Amino acid sequence: MTNLSQTGPGEARTRQRQRRFVFYLGFSGLVGGIIGLTVGAFDLGDGNLFSGDWDKLALDPAIALALAAMLLFGFALLPLHGFRSIDELKRDQSLVGFTGGCIAVLAGFPMWAVLHAGGFGAAPNPFGIWLLAFLGMSASYLFARWRV
Amino acid sequence: MKNRLKVLRAERDWSQAELAGRLDVSRQAVNAIETGKHDPSLPLAFRIARLFDMRIEEIFDDEI
Repeated sequence: MTNLSQTGPGEARTRQRQRRFVFYLGFSGLVGGIIGLTVGAFDLGDGNLFSGDWDKLALDPAIALALAAMLLFGFALLPLHGFRSIDELKRDQSLVGFTGGCIAVLAGFPMWAVLHAGGFGAAPNPFGIWLLAFLGMSASYLFARWRV
Repeated sequence: MKNRLKVLRAERDWSQAELAGRLDVSRQAVNAIETGKHDPSLPLAFRIARLFDMRIEEIFDDEI
């Protein structure tokens, strides 16, 4: 009788790679959730990290330092580690994503500024610029993945 | 770039996941190479050639 669960060494390594990917995804979501919950629960001011009045946001210095460390980990160290461990196809796709994020800011910020100067919409703000980069990067990455 | 990867894989009765694991790349990378949507880097092309005990030009052809 054939043992269907028996696979070659390559399949085992592929499953291990997939498990690692799911772990990183879950861990990133957990870190993001902790950051969001902490900001929401410990905000001492009237501001909001995700709107234009972020300068009114007030946090305990220790919590601010802990959040900054988590943001550095979540948005810099973890992606850099991931970038080093992915294969060349996903690295190509990530580079398309990074390029898209960069172009979104290079073109998006001056466009936003002149549109505001012409009476269209609110003035550019730091979170809006960050969002431009994030959305530009995400859209470009998804396009690169869809193309393959 | 055309290649014989799918045929060589089928001859050994390997799944895409099996080949991907042996090459230390994702299954998506194997699929993209097989369908000609991704050209492997030179180091990966050498790994593929070594795995099948063939020369690179016996697997990949840029003239078809």
